[in-house]
Amino acid sequence: MHMADALLAPAVAATMYAATGVAAGVSIKTLRKDENTQKLPTMAVASALVFAGQMINYTIPGTGSSGHLCGGMLLTGLLGPQAGFLSMIVILAIQALFFADGGLLALGANCWNMAFYGCFVGYYLIWKPVMHSKLFGKSGARTAGRLKIALSSILGCVLTLQLGALSVVLETSISGITELPFGAFVAVMQPIHLAIGLVEGLITSAVLIFVYETRPELIMDADTSGDAVRSKCSLKTTLVILAVVVAVVGGGLSLVASGNPDGLEWSMFGNAESGYSENMGLDEENYGVSSTAADTAASIQEKTAFLPDYAFANSDSAAGTTVSGLVGSAIVAALAAAICFAGGFFRKKHKKAAAKA
Amino acid sequence: MNNISAASREFREMDELSAQDSPIHRLHPLVKLLVTLAYIVCVVSFPKYQLSGLAVMVLYPVLVFQLSGIPVRTCFHKLRIVLPLVCAVGLLNPFFDRAPLLYVGGLAVSGGVVSMVTLMLKGVFSLMASFLLIATTSIDALCAALRKLHVPALLVTLLLLTYRYISVMIGEVAVMTDAYRLRAPGQKGIHISVWGSFLGQLLLRSMDRAEELYQSMQLRGFRGEFYYADQPPCTAGAVAYGVVCAALFVLARLYDLPQLLGNLFV
Amino acid sequence: MIEFQNVSFSYESGTPVLQNLCFSIGAGEAVGLIGANGAGKSTIMKILLGLLPCEGGVTVGGLAVKKQNLGEVRKKLGFVLQNSDNQMFMPTVYEDMMFAPRNYGLSKEEAEARVDRVLSELGLTELKHRYNHKISGGEKRMAAIATILAMEPEAILMDEPSTALDPVNRRTVIRAINGLTMTKLIASHDLDMILDTCDRVILLSHGQVAADGPAGEILRDKALLEANRMELPFCLAGPSPRQ
Repeated sequence: MHMADALLAPAVAATMYAATGVAAGVSIKTLRKDENTQKLPTMAVASALVFAGQMINYTIPGTGSSGHLCGGMLLTGLLGPQAGFLSMIVILAIQALFFADGGLLALGANCWNMAFYGCFVGYYLIWKPVMHSKLFGKSGARTAGRLKIALSSILGCVLTLQLGALSVVLETSISGITELPFGAFVAVMQPIHLAIGLVEGLITSAVLIFVYETRPELIMDADTSGDAVRSKCSLKTTLVILAVVVAVVGGGLSLVASGNPDGLEWSMFGNAESGYSENMGLDEENYGVSSTAADTAASIQEKTAFLPDYAFANSDSAAGTTVSGLVGSAIVAALAAAICFAGGFFRKKHKKAAAKA
Repeated sequence: MNNISAASREFREMDELSAQDSPIHRLHPLVKLLVTLAYIVCVVSFPKYQLSGLAVMVLYPVLVFQLSGIPVRTCFHKLRIVLPLVCAVGLLNPFFDRAPLLYVGGLAVSGGVVSMVTLMLKGVFSLMASFLLIATTSIDALCAALRKLHVPALLVTLLLLTYRYISVMIGEVAVMTDAYRLRAPGQKGIHISVWGSFLGQLLLRSMDRAEELYQSMQLRGFRGEFYYADQPPCTAGAVAYGVVCAALFVLARLYDLPQLLGNLFV
Repeated sequence: MIEFQNVSFSYESGTPVLQNLCFSIGAGEAVGLIGANGAGKSTIMKILLGLLPCEGGVTVGGLAVKKQNLGEVRKKLGFVLQNSDNQMFMPTVYEDMMFAPRNYGLSKEEAEARVDRVLSELGLTELKHRYNHKISGGEKRMAAIATILAMEPEAILMDEPSTALDPVNRRTVIRAINGLTMTKLIASHDLDMILDTCDRVILLSHGQVAADGPAGEILRDKALLEANRMELPFCLAGPSPRQ
């Protein structure tokens, strides 16, 4: 889900930087108020761990594939939203700088898409209400804690990934990078990330439950006292929040449905999509596209495709532009090659001089 | 799990590259950071059909590669992560945008094809620029530059500490996955039954470790901010380099230089 | 230099770790702290450094170990961790050695002069600009000691300084320790090393001082050592039973 620099217009990138900057500023202020410099190395080690943990393959039972960890919800559950957000920023920055995963310009957008939702939305909308709720109260404090962690991890990951995926689509579309219609783009991204979010949620909850069972004091908002849950949030409010979540996710999906108003776009997308999914090695069934629609699209394509009537109109000026552009580009290429050659030449000379000395 | 050892190798490789010496390495980190950002912004802001104008931007990375002596090969290795995504988005353009934009020897090239190539070039160029930044600048120098830009100390210190600890963590994960694999031959990844405990164990150990680390820092008088290693001075030359680079980028962005150049000959 | 008076400490769970512990260490003494796992060796060090709260009186160089004195106390004490990785978090040995002096307000030149002096005293000059993640375990241990010496502490505390070192590196560390003139408190299970580096030994058992006296005496007392889950140092134990 890492956005690349090339997929963003500078204005969009700057906006996302500003948004991330505000969220980071608020987080830092909150952390300072808590005088939690104690947390600094814990944050560093936790983010280093998540970074390393992202490289582990988790076999998904029943399938041949494996899942990975993203980490937003995991860090939130361990460090709280503010510290978790800052840790995620750092992880994303290191990925962008050292692994070319994402980009410098896209960093703001990536932080927003992956860290902000995972940490703040995930915490305040899901983690905190669920952890403080009386849910599963009948099954004993320990079991209830476990179930609540599982519920909020999975819900949190699914919701925040949906939001993140939607943001990727919005940002790319606003940037005017892709010709892909908005609705079709959403239709690809959301279901894929539904699956990814589920797997990530399962991994996150597995790790957090393990920590809860061994060192419950490390989990945010966990009930460590062992006695009755001091509930700030009744079952009713929890249900209301869950309803909101369902509405948001459902809304996102229904947006997809209404996002393909005319069959043409949708089916063209289907056609193009088959190539896309082959390239990406994705599961075609994830976003089922009816083949009949694709067939019609193919015929429409043939009719509307290459060399329309006005093919050679204005060909003089167009050709002129093309030629001088090509010649200029060729000169640039020659210049680049010359620089490479000169650089190599000087280095060799330098080496020889060094060898002599 | 190959990608773990690959990652630690990549880290070490970048460390070694940034420890080399060249005119680019010696530049003030803040200048390099700003020039890189200016370059990426200019590259990314090219209109989607302005392929020939974008082409001239290749000169900056080529020049810096040569001046710094960073092998180009190390960079192309990193393209594997970003390119698929950019291509996935870009490859669709030819299917949606079919209006012919230009003609090469009577052959129509649709706007989609041009915008696809432009997009891919943008991806490659901006990646090369940030790669060159980090390959010629140590993380300490970069953090010092960030502090100069008034990025909060908490965030910068966190970045530096995390960076330090990633290599330790990757090492531990590598040992653990090896130990796992030796007792679980033929498994591609970590089985669901140990999803929680595998990373959880490491996490618990790491938390204790974080505490010890923090104590060791406190015992040596740490008050929340590092003293960054000495940075090269911000000379007039460095400032001039920055200004000239930025001016050239803007010039290239405003005028289609290859086009103008070609007009001279055609 | 270091004084413990009726010091008690227990974990939150209530398990007592130290009980009415009393001992004092004079300036310039080299003291070995020995005892079974869980006897309280690390706890003593952490209490000295103000990392754990305790009951009773602890003073370092005449200063009580209290919150308002912590800065001063910690400046007097150098603590060499068992795990050098947790200590060496800067990229190069040089930067790690500069860390404490710079934090204590020395100028760059003063700090650098100190670093160079310590490195040459320990014969580590060639390590100066090496990366911490690229030096061997033995070099790392020596570098960790150098890092602490660059603080110029009045007393040095060491937690297992000889573990996981090959015999040559272990010998190098022992020689380095013997070259130091400040007060030394060394916690270890490596009794041979204690014998080689310390004049006096404090034997801990269940959070109390079980024996306190000259190293040569206590480390020869087979019955005492065996009662505390330890054995005679190899150099005093005679031939191995298999040989």
